[in-house]
Amino acid sequence: MPPLSGWTLWITGFVDKAPALDHVMGFLANDFIVPVAIALILLGLWVGHRDPGRREQLQKALMNASVAIGISTLVVRILNMSDFWPRPFLVDDFVIRESARYAAQTVFYLPHDPSFPSNAATIAFAAATGVWFSHRKAGAVLYFLAFLWVFARFYAGIHFAIDLAGGAMIGVVTSIMISKVFMPRTEPLPTLALKVGRFLYIA
Amino acid sequence: MALDYFLLVFIAAIGLYQIVAIPAGLKGLWFFRQPKVQYAFGVLAIIGAFGWFYTSAERNIQHTIEGSQQLALFLGAIISAYFITAILASIIQAAVCTRGDTPIKGKQHDLGMETLKTTTLFGGILSSLRKQREKGD
Repeated sequence: MPPLSGWTLWITGFVDKAPALDHVMGFLANDFIVPVAIALILLGLWVGHRDPGRREQLQKALMNASVAIGISTLVVRILNMSDFWPRPFLVDDFVIRESARYAAQTVFYLPHDPSFPSNAATIAFAAATGVWFSHRKAGAVLYFLAFLWVFARFYAGIHFAIDLAGGAMIGVVTSIMISKVFMPRTEPLPTLALKVGRFLYIA
Repeated sequence: MALDYFLLVFIAAIGLYQIVAIPAGLKGLWFFRQPKVQYAFGVLAIIGAFGWFYTSAERNIQHTIEGSQQLALFLGAIISAYFITAILASIIQAAVCTRGDTPIKGKQHDLGMETLKTTTLFGGILSSLRKQREKGD
């Protein structure tokens, strides 16, 4: 059993108390809704600035965020190879297992992929951190969405708190490393990529 | 599910381009003359896309769309939405506007999206081709 697994029992205890809340959490926990919202915000930042200089700066930040998402996903894939612990609805502890199973069946569904680290938390926090360095307001909105997404998945009983915290940490650390250490050393590649994008009218 | 996901992103992206083209001043992507109408269209497209996607079928189910497939669908949808927006805006503006496109100053590959502030996608491509032909002559 992972650390803080008692928190799962506590949070899944709220399921079925307020059906409206369950619906909201089901909407937020969905595999497509929040990730598409996050990606559309990134797309809006790519296009939506009047000043060409500032737009280029944002586009480079978005490239950093995209690379960070890719690398952190790879890190998650590698970590997934060693089975740390099962999903909350598959653990040996009867009380936690049944509470999580009921929550997942009510709010979400029973996913089969590994529990630790959470891929959702990794992607969302990598994107938010990548944007944060260049656009504080958009970064804050993305952190908020990331938090809502991972909280909804915790509420749905499909992750332990430590899965989400681990995923978020991988996303944040990878994004910092990519934005501050790796990508600045790859110049002039990002600039060349933007030039190609300009030729195609997409940058 | 994959087609639904593609449509969600495609429609929402068309709406988003209409909204962000206002502050960015990218008139070459505008469908409407009035920014308020364009903004309303964009918001409705985004809300409509999410509303339709979530209510048209049960979405919290075990599905087969992997992360990489999701990324490919997303990229395909936003790029096609961008070019469809630019093409539609070119057609609408050619039909509605009586003024000609403002000639582009500078090289198109240096300006990129910036070109769309003064002309449409078609206008930009035609202007680039004209410049190349003049160079050839």
